[in-house]
Amino acid sequence: MTSRNILKPSPIPSLSVGIGLGDKWGDKIMRKSDIVVIGSGLAGLVAASTAAGQGKKVTLLAQGAGTLTIAGGIIDILGCLGDGSPANNPIAAIPRLAQEHPYRKIGVETVEEAINYFLKICQEEGYPQIGSCNQIQWIPTAAGTLKPTCIVPRTMDISSLEKTTNRIIVGFKYLKDFYPRLIAQNLAAMPGYGGNYEIVTITPPFGGRDLSNLDIARWLETDEGLKEFAVQLSQKVKRGSLLIMPPVLGTSPDYRILNWLKKNLECYLLETVTIPPAITGLRLRSLLINHVKKLGVKVIEQAVVTGSVIENGRCLAVVTESADRQRSYYAKSFILATGGIYGGGLIANSDQVIEPIFNLPVKTPLERDNWTNQTLFSNREQPFAKIGIAVDQRMRPIDETGTTILSNVCIAGRTLAGYDYCFEKSGNGVAVSSGYKAAMSV
Amino acid sequence: MKKHLNNPDKCTACTVCVAHCPVAAATPNFRGPKMVGPALERMRLSQDDYEPSLDYCTNCKNCDIACPSGVPISTLNMLARAKYYKSFKPKLRDRLLSHGERMGKLSESLPAVFTNMGMAIGRKLGLMDLVGISDKAPIPHFVGKSFIKQFKMLRQQSYPDKVVFYVGCYINFNDPQVGLDIVAVMQANKYEVIVDEAFACCGSPLIVNGFFDEAKQNVHQNTQTLQKWIDLGYPIIMGCTSCLLMLKQEYQELFASEQVNENAKHLYDASEFLLKLHDEGRLNTNFSLLNERYLYHAPCHLRVQGMGLPALDLLGMVPGPTTQDVDAGCCGISGSYGLKADKYDIAMRIGRKLFDKIKASKIDAVISECGTCRLQIEHGSGATTCHPLSVLRRAYEKNNQT
Repeated sequence: MTSRNILKPSPIPSLSVGIGLGDKWGDKIMRKSDIVVIGSGLAGLVAASTAAGQGKKVTLLAQGAGTLTIAGGIIDILGCLGDGSPANNPIAAIPRLAQEHPYRKIGVETVEEAINYFLKICQEEGYPQIGSCNQIQWIPTAAGTLKPTCIVPRTMDISSLEKTTNRIIVGFKYLKDFYPRLIAQNLAAMPGYGGNYEIVTITPPFGGRDLSNLDIARWLETDEGLKEFAVQLSQKVKRGSLLIMPPVLGTSPDYRILNWLKKNLECYLLETVTIPPAITGLRLRSLLINHVKKLGVKVIEQAVVTGSVIENGRCLAVVTESADRQRSYYAKSFILATGGIYGGGLIANSDQVIEPIFNLPVKTPLERDNWTNQTLFSNREQPFAKIGIAVDQRMRPIDETGTTILSNVCIAGRTLAGYDYCFEKSGNGVAVSSGYKAAMSV
Repeated sequence: MKKHLNNPDKCTACTVCVAHCPVAAATPNFRGPKMVGPALERMRLSQDDYEPSLDYCTNCKNCDIACPSGVPISTLNMLARAKYYKSFKPKLRDRLLSHGERMGKLSESLPAVFTNMGMAIGRKLGLMDLVGISDKAPIPHFVGKSFIKQFKMLRQQSYPDKVVFYVGCYINFNDPQVGLDIVAVMQANKYEVIVDEAFACCGSPLIVNGFFDEAKQNVHQNTQTLQKWIDLGYPIIMGCTSCLLMLKQEYQELFASEQVNENAKHLYDASEFLLKLHDEGRLNTNFSLLNERYLYHAPCHLRVQGMGLPALDLLGMVPGPTTQDVDAGCCGISGSYGLKADKYDIAMRIGRKLFDKIKASKIDAVISECGTCRLQIEHGSGATTCHPLSVLRRAYEKNNQT
């Protein structure tokens, strides 16, 4: 290019400039936060909400939409103990867990407080939940098995089972991963679920490819779709029936579709737990994201945190890396809720597991051969599932001697060591209560 | 963990991207980002395999934003599209829509009134429909005098600090006022603005429409030109978030080279650049009160950049009512996608939530960085729109007048 003289005379007057050194409006901008939460899964969102509710300035660094979106969106607190014995009252069973279990660090009272806090948020946001931390509920899955959990949305209200023996499995043509006959057969053999199940198949007005729950849920979100669904159902089911279906009653955290169908069909409805995309998780995530934004939490999407700035046992900032350059996020305290090996918070190499942001020591069995229990569906925990960061009573990371490593960093969610959430059915319960506890501790 | 490692095997098939894809939500014809992107990429690596529903992908990047595993899903889609167009000829319509720069230059050589009249007549005669451009769509209006022409007439105050402004086609040919406002705001911060005519179109519209080889030439030209200014130590600012994304990220994902990666470090969104000045204690915060109430719409191509919403932070410093983030997702237009006859309705469905939220609010204008987002928002909601730096300029100038 030829360089041009850019200083030619112009008819436009140049602007006068005053450098405002005194940062008059500085309080309206959040370049530095009280708390930075890393991770926007359930633990991170509850932590951010709790902290913001305490009047803290919170920045939430999110990479991806979090595994919450694809998971069930129901809160398991504790289904069984390490030996496989059932925990009918999860709260009462917590003192029987091993000393290094996250619940033991969080404490029984705080777990209860956290769950009540979660229930309060859902209530406030117009998506009230059913259940408590004192009682297990056995809810049906898309395989026709039962799963122990504690807190579920009203779309999963199993009390309707007792109200009628007229039970119908509602399937959809082209829908994959939901097989009504399998469900009917298996459910009939389950305690509390015995009896006859009829099968009804709904034909959506589109297809030509496999459909997922998401497609059906979006169809029911349209007025035409909802009416068409109700018309097809009303031709096939009697009033007062219980309709068991995949989670398709809308993608947003409200009961508009459930209530409309209940009223117009005069039936009970029950959504099963299913495989991703599970819709219930999607609802819960949008509820929590909306909630934290209302509380003034600043959410930074695509923030890939790769490191931290540490000085004298304190974290000053965490550093993100994008296609262009690094950015530092300063705060007084930090909450690490980046998930486990699946969520990306822990990285498993051939002989060790690392935590990439603070380089914290990760508790692993000494020999790699001992990371797994070779019998996948055995009645024993998986050692690799318990790999994570050990913490003190305030959820701060500790080394092998039990000494606190970073005084202003707390850990929440699956990054924590000492529990196999798949085995004991405690994933979202630990996420909610450790997120709450971490935010209360910083 | 660099995003531009185009490895489909990092995909765990978790379906988060499907749940967040605005196109899949708007039409069942699109099989969704997981299937069309990483899942089929494994097939494409071993044999030529074309998935027809790939045509529905808008490259809006909401899949990338949602992905917890760092898979550049949308880029895999664009690479697949490039592969397809190696053996198939793009439509005339796509040729027209991907060459805004050429159209802009044409409108400069003819009086713009002819270009626009041509469009209007074309619309009347159904020619738009004939080539596959929707006769309902908000076709960008070409102005008579491009930004660069107007910039040449501008007399700036000289300062030792200089910044290079990469203008982009939309600001240059369709909305030059935004460019003038950016220059004024930089001047208010004691920066002299350099505009270099050697810059070409960033190539984003070429990539989404399958003109991969042609885009390569633009990439080469822009990379050389950027390097020249970066070697002189000047930062590069941009007003359009899609051009910015292309230059700093998609160049790396699609055309990685050492120079491309190095250049990325020096590219700034104009608002982010001003926030940087604020961090250094040298932002002119002599803003006057603005009483207007605004909503802010974050372009998807900004959200994917991992730097938050710098314009909102910046506007937060201007005294007056706090600008609210609409936070209602994609507007649907995705550059030229929403102009296509077979895509117009999908684009409008995608944007419906956003339009409804804007219509329901009692605001004076919607602020957004992206030119085509603004076009679509005006079309879908009837609201007035502006660029964040246009608002900032008013906050400086109002102050100046009193």
